[in-house]
Amino acid sequence: MPMKGRFPVRRTLRYLSQGDVVFKSAVKVMTVNYNTAGELSEGARKFVFFNIPQIQYKNPWVQIMLFRNMTPSPFLRFYLDNGEQVLVDVEDKTNKEITEHIKKILGKSKEMLEKEERERKKLSHPATFGPKKYHLRECMCEIEGQVPCPAFVPLPKEMRGKYKAAMKNEA
Amino acid sequence: PGWSPRVVPARGRKSRHDPPAKSKAGRLKLPPPVDPEELLVVLDRYRQHRLVLGALRAEFRAEVLQKKREEHLGGEDSAELLEEHRRLMAWNDEENARQRERREERLRKEAEEEKRRKLEVAEKQARKMEAFMKEKEKEVLQLQEEAKSFITPENLDARIEECLDNPRNYNFAIDKDGRVVKRTVLS
Repeated sequence: MPMKGRFPVRRTLRYLSQGDVVFKSAVKVMTVNYNTAGELSEGARKFVFFNIPQIQYKNPWVQIMLFRNMTPSPFLRFYLDNGEQVLVDVEDKTNKEITEHIKKILGKSKEMLEKEERERKKLSHPATFGPKKYHLRECMCEIEGQVPCPAFVPLPKEMRGKYKAAMKNEA
Repeated sequence: PGWSPRVVPARGRKSRHDPPAKSKAGRLKLPPPVDPEELLVVLDRYRQHRLVLGALRAEFRAEVLQKKREEHLGGEDSAELLEEHRRLMAWNDEENARQRERREERLRKEAEEEKRRKLEVAEKQARKMEAFMKEKEKEVLQLQEEAKSFITPENLDARIEECLDNPRNYNFAIDKDGRVVKRTVLS
């Protein structure tokens, strides 16, 4: 499969999952106004090129709109679900600064993310066995160090019910 | 419930349309004997058990629903969250103000730069004009000076007499540096 685009690394799952901006549930729409030329818009351009895929991956339910060459200076605008609009001026800022800024004002804090992670883990018990969809393992034979599955390696005679029954009958 | 592998059909070999056997001709099917007191006790116990179980189930269902609703609404102290949000918005506004100041500073500097450049250009232009004017002045003065020694119809005769009286000798050779090398006598 050929690599597509100028920086195909932006399309890899590893790169996308490295994005650390997870918006609060109140943020619904993010709008970016920037210019395709000019030194002051450089940070915004880099932000749109490199960081927006990461943000969209982490927030699939947030609508992101890009507007080019409509205003003289670049800015971001967030629309929250209570009607509030948050304006962020990004003129003369690098893309890293922009991501830090929006993580601070509208991103979920690390504690919150960890708490949610813990809640998610609580729902399922890792020690149970069952279908792969809901559990980690289906049978004890999948675990290293345990008796292997008799479908692949036949059990020794002493463990088979047939042999045990025959012994009992004999005695 | 249904035909799970545990419940095998009791019909066995015959279907419902086959006649029963002759040995079963005088059979009288009676329900199992029931002790009334025992029945009452047992029924009461079952009633209590089912009541308790139903209540427990309802309790757990309500708890789960409540938890889900809580999670939906956002949980925690709403006031605290609002406070946090307002603080962050204030910080954002400050940041914007700082950015605005920086931008104004930059624009002001640029305007100053523009003005200075314009001034410089104007100055240079003025200086050029001045130099030009001076040059022209000098030329005019020089011309005026030369005008004094012009030949006019009045002193025409006098000048001719003067030239005829003083013959000038142009017979001289010059080397590359412009110095006179040889002079020949005028004949």
